[in-house]
Amino acid sequence: MLDALDKELLKTVADLESIPKGAYNIRKNGKLLGREVSANIDIESNAEGTGIVITIKPGTKDESVHIPVILSQAGLHDVVYNTFIVGEDADVTIIAGCGIHCGGSAPEGHEGIHEFRIGRNARLKYVEKHVALGEGKGKRTLNPTTNVYLDENAYAEMELSQLGGVDEARRVNTAELGPGSAILITERVMTDGDQRAESKNELILQGEDSKANIVSRSVVKGDSKQDFFVNLEARAKCYGHIECDAIIMDNGISETVPALKALHPDAALTHEASIGKIANDQLMKLMSLGLTYDESVNRIIQGFLK
Amino acid sequence: MIELKNVRFSVPADESNDGGGPTKTIINDVSFTFEKGKFYGITGPNGGGKTTLSKLIMGINPVTSGSITLDGQDISDMSITDRARAGIAYGFQNSARFKGTTFRDLLSIAAGTDDEAALTRIIAGLGICSLDFLDKPVDTKLSGGEIKKIELATIIARNPKVAIYDEPDTGIDLWTIGPMVEVLKREQKEKGTTTIVVSHNRTFLEAADEILMIRDGRIAYSGGLDGALPILEDLSACSFGDLCEGETDVRCFR
Repeated sequence: MLDALDKELLKTVADLESIPKGAYNIRKNGKLLGREVSANIDIESNAEGTGIVITIKPGTKDESVHIPVILSQAGLHDVVYNTFIVGEDADVTIIAGCGIHCGGSAPEGHEGIHEFRIGRNARLKYVEKHVALGEGKGKRTLNPTTNVYLDENAYAEMELSQLGGVDEARRVNTAELGPGSAILITERVMTDGDQRAESKNELILQGEDSKANIVSRSVVKGDSKQDFFVNLEARAKCYGHIECDAIIMDNGISETVPALKALHPDAALTHEASIGKIANDQLMKLMSLGLTYDESVNRIIQGFLK
Repeated sequence: MIELKNVRFSVPADESNDGGGPTKTIINDVSFTFEKGKFYGITGPNGGGKTTLSKLIMGINPVTSGSITLDGQDISDMSITDRARAGIAYGFQNSARFKGTTFRDLLSIAAGTDDEAALTRIIAGLGICSLDFLDKPVDTKLSGGEIKKIELATIIARNPKVAIYDEPDTGIDLWTIGPMVEVLKREQKEKGTTTIVVSHNRTFLEAADEILMIRDGRIAYSGGLDGALPILEDLSACSFGDLCEGETDVRCFR
């Protein structure tokens, strides 16, 4: 059922050596390749047939769902609408990711529009990796959208990464936080060549004592360009922090725009942003430990994106 | 053994002027031999050239003229990496802070192994008992004392022939200096490490076999601490000798 190429893509985006245990939904070239549900996790196609609805029963603990998407068909632009409903008090991990293999000159792309509804006191860890492989010259596009709604005291940790090969990416993340809820978003993007990546983030701290922390790490190599925008809007007594760092190399360019909006007198919002080359003192330190210049650069970037 | 022969280091007098034009000499014709296994204390007034001299040995600054040899091999044109591999280690005065790099990462690079037992042995010898410390990110959140311990550990893990420490006591509390000196003395005794410490701190200078005083880019004195003390006391009382308006001036508190 899985060929060598599929396996390589699955391993890269979802750390899967084979078909996973537990609930999963694997989509290949716009079609369902395999699905498994568990006693607590249900996966169904949505009414429009444009994606899936994943429903996690209240109280489900320590379970995970894998929902990788793999693409290797030239000329295909796949769009899916997925909804995740995480029941109250659940504690689950969702591993998504999209791997494109491009062997020819026709473009390939995937747009995953994900909506998360996280119930009261529920905890979600969402891991999403994007990569593109292959020798083909076709343009590889990945435009993910993530919309998160956090109910009272819900918690979401989202790790979003794009670590190579994607020519164009336009990401949109939005979140609306209920009372006492918290979200931690970590985004890691590396671009090279003529690649372009843009990330737009809109977070609304709606409920009292809600917390948002968004961390972005970008490495911009070659002639690539990365832009990062965040709007953090506080509508209650809450706490929000933005941390965005970009390392630029070669002719890479980057634009970072963190914005804070306090619409409540008890809002506490902070941000730190930096763009620059690898710091010289870091390189000197690693070279003085016996690494070459190139090895030092690699180690610093590996750590930065870890 | 490290031998400096007529070492000179100069920079453009005007920083905006990269090539040509007048130059400013920071290290002026310094010749000195650091004997194998000895402990040297480099001291002298601020801006005198101590740090620059130690950076010339590590290759962080290139010599303008003259030569540096390590055990007879000319290393003047070698990169930092090659000097590190040849057995020189350097502790920075202001240690680099990273994002996403842990103490374990640095220590593994320094020791050339990520074997947990080997790393534990190294840090246990430094009085860092907590294993949790290994996974601390080497970032701006570390205290001055913590980062210095990390710096020290990475140098000792290299097991170098020549260890250079630039002001290792910066940012650490007075109580930590004694144990730190003991560690350096132990490394010197047990492994025969040639140890060069740039410091103003008396504890380090008292531990040294020989004192080297650098002033205006030259060696102003070399020898025992006793001989250096009168000059040091003079320096500590006034470091504006050139600008001094005389002992009778009321603004001079000497």
